[in-house]
Amino acid sequence: MKDLKTYAEITWCPGCGNFGIFTSVRNAIPLLEEKGIKRDNIVITSGIGCHAKIFDYLNLSGFYGLHGRNCSNSEGIKIANPDLKVINFSGDANGLAEGLAHTMFAAKRNQDLTFILHNNSVYALTTGQFSPLAEKGWKGPSTPRGSYEEPFNPISLMIEAGATFVARGFAGDVKHLTDLMVQGVEHEGFAFIEVLQPAVPYHKWEEYREQIEYLEKEPDTYFEAMKAAKEKHKFTIGIFYRTTRPVYHKELYGEYNPIKKRLSKETRIEKIHKILESK
Amino acid sequence: MDSNVFTFLVGGKAGEGVKKAGSVAAHIFSSLGRHIFQMDDYMSLIRGGHNFSVVSTSPRWISSHYMKANLVVNFDKRSCETHMNNIAEKGIMVYNSDEQELEIGVGIPLTSEAEKYPMKNLMYGVGAVAILSAMIGFKKDQLNQIIRSEYPRGIEDNIRFANTIYDIVSPDCGAKFPLEKGDKKRSIIPGNVAISLGAIAGGLDVYYGYPMTPASTILHTLAREAENFGLAVVHAESEIAVINMAIGSAFTGAKSMVGTSGGGFALMTEGYSLAGITETPLLVILSQRPGPATGVPTYTEQADLAFALTAGHGDFLRIVASPRTVREAYYLTSEMLDLVWKFQTPGILLTEKHLSESSMTVEIDLEKSKWAEPKMHKDGDYKRYLDIHDGISPMLFPPSNQIIKWNSYEHDEFGITTENAEMISFMHDKRNKKLETLIEYLKGLETVKIIRGENPTNIFTYGSTYMSVLEALRYGRLNPTTIAPIYLSPLPTWELKEFKNQDNVVIEQSSTGQFTKLLEEKAGLKIRNTIKQYDGRPFDPIELSNKIKEVL
Ligand SMILES: Cc1ncc(C[n+]2csc(CCOP(=O)(O)OP(=O)(O)O)c2C)c(N)n1
Ligand code: SF4
Ligand SMILES: [Mg+2]
Repeated sequence: MKDLKTYAEITWCPGCGNFGIFTSVRNAIPLLEEKGIKRDNIVITSGIGCHAKIFDYLNLSGFYGLHGRNCSNSEGIKIANPDLKVINFSGDANGLAEGLAHTMFAAKRNQDLTFILHNNSVYALTTGQFSPLAEKGWKGPSTPRGSYEEPFNPISLMIEAGATFVARGFAGDVKHLTDLMVQGVEHEGFAFIEVLQPAVPYHKWEEYREQIEYLEKEPDTYFEAMKAAKEKHKFTIGIFYRTTRPVYHKELYGEYNPIKKRLSKETRIEKIHKILESK
Repeated sequence: MDSNVFTFLVGGKAGEGVKKAGSVAAHIFSSLGRHIFQMDDYMSLIRGGHNFSVVSTSPRWISSHYMKANLVVNFDKRSCETHMNNIAEKGIMVYNSDEQELEIGVGIPLTSEAEKYPMKNLMYGVGAVAILSAMIGFKKDQLNQIIRSEYPRGIEDNIRFANTIYDIVSPDCGAKFPLEKGDKKRSIIPGNVAISLGAIAGGLDVYYGYPMTPASTILHTLAREAENFGLAVVHAESEIAVINMAIGSAFTGAKSMVGTSGGGFALMTEGYSLAGITETPLLVILSQRPGPATGVPTYTEQADLAFALTAGHGDFLRIVASPRTVREAYYLTSEMLDLVWKFQTPGILLTEKHLSESSMTVEIDLEKSKWAEPKMHKDGDYKRYLDIHDGISPMLFPPSNQIIKWNSYEHDEFGITTENAEMISFMHDKRNKKLETLIEYLKGLETVKIIRGENPTNIFTYGSTYMSVLEALRYGRLNPTTIAPIYLSPLPTWELKEFKNQDNVVIEQSSTGQFTKLLEEKAGLKIRNTIKQYDGRPFDPIELSNKIKEVL
């Protein structure tokens, strides 16, 4: 289908930041193809939330998972067939509340995935409750007196957990975000891209636009990266950290592919016969 | 007592090689061409406590250990006290004379002899093997050969120690229990190894697990064999991750399996339901221990049956089958892997600690293994959830130039989310058709094992309890018709019709009689009586045969 869009009716609110993410992905795919990554090899996963609807709108193969669990689906896809390039879409509740452990462990393992975190700092689809990234004091239906918790810092959290590419983009700067996505997918390892994504019922675009700043220089070391992650305010966009580390599936089985190189029934039976003989 | 059955029981503290001594004994018996059944009873701890291993052997097929042993070897006082009542008529009890003096039994100074060696704690097991060897009339060179191959660490010390013990035992008790030879040597494997190998034979590509007794040894076995068979075997961060990873892998066409016990499966149920709506082929090995909650980790029960049959929210097709024997665990695992792929739905191989961790001599016809093969999309535009007569949509896996969308929301045929009223019921109908297709298919398989007998009362049982029942019947020379469903969902009611108006008794290991209820509700059977055991221990064939006699 044209422009990587399906026939699904788009139900995001007019002006939703998810449109910027949607456009950026559709821009990034042809650029990735130019770089030799085949479209057929790209698969997407989504959790549940407003962000996740991108699954229905993108004409790409993939798996629409449970709330909080699609990161594990992504890992399972990569482990079974490492030829596939997995782009994992997550909300801030999906990836950092319900699915926090999976996100942390995927980073710890340096799974070769691109993890896009749609940060609207609320549970948008469930009517605006405070999220793990909401400012302390956020008044939502579950916290009428304001939330009591400090938000996570997703950039330092992911660097600490072991992600090897950590960046922040803005749904209002499609060109910059497209570039981050291309680099994230190209990166071999766990690429975490937080996207500042205004949700119109809850935020004003102007508040974002006024505060957005670009990181002047990509930090060179872990400590510089952590310093930038901690000291820069949370509307600072750019690449915070990039390093190389063996990816999980290669640690697991090297240059192998469990599906493509699957042993035949006959070979398996022969080997099982040998095992039984020794018992 | 069947004079051909010989039982060896060895007991001591964790860390003294009790289980190892049991399995060496099993190998000694199988080297004589005999059949064995080994049951290990151990506590949830790493050092200390009390563990024991019971190995029963016979020249014929034997399907249970006996709790009355001909030879009991105790490493310590606690073991002696525990097993005072486990000595068969004319049986011999060996005790550690460094710890106590007893009127009955044979005292051996195990501790003072073991203390002469640097690895003294590991010597007890060697001692037990030496005692057994002397009593069954093995020559010293036979004993030494066994020690050499089974206890390779510190061989010379082990041999010296074994010979010392052998010489102490021989004068009074040498060749007390000569064992008749059997027809041939067979392999000995525990249920979890049979499950692991059956899965591999059936086409397994990836396995995910999170340690939980009694399923952990599937993870360990497959991790050990991963390189040999080109499998990906992953210990993930939780059972929730485990099942969702397995589902992700299945999306790429990988034959995926997960294994756990009740508590872990409880965490997996949302994912299990996800497999239902996405029509993901996924095999779950659910090995039961006594519940609820943490329950009793290292013991056995059959109280997750009702849970397994209904696990996961929403309407979807669930296949549940339970193997009766270690050998059947091999076949059934490959068959279940094939079935979940044929019908694109999740399934459970339901088993128990008693099968998972007990070992048996087996003969497996490897050619009878099934091979999982899905119905594949041929050509033309692809729709993941295409509705056709049997409800089974053809599969296609990435990479592909077609779009393949699997969706956790209710969806249309292409895989896009829907809230449309017609589409919602259409998709339910499409998925529900698979049940009819499955039932037709199962009618061509052996789904219930029926052994015809002469007694007017029938006995229903399932899972590993079947083995206890068979041994009890053999011991008590009882001859009722025994019926053991292998498939529990769908329950093969077409095979059970003839028993509707007959006199039926159930034997199971659930305190509320979950299997009894299933037979009453689903098959409309009248059950007169249920023999239950729910103390974490498997049935003992002698006790069980007495209970059966009471109800026949
Ligand atoms: C297990 C489970 N719990 C709760 C929900 C309900 N739920 C749907 S979306 C959502 C939160 C979404 O927030 P986020 O992930 O930030 O996505 P957003 O809508 O903000 O894009 C919740 C709690 C669910 N679908 N599944
Ligand atoms: S609620 Fe917010 S996130 Fe959801 S569609 Fe509307 S603007 Fe977008
Ligand atoms: Mg959100």
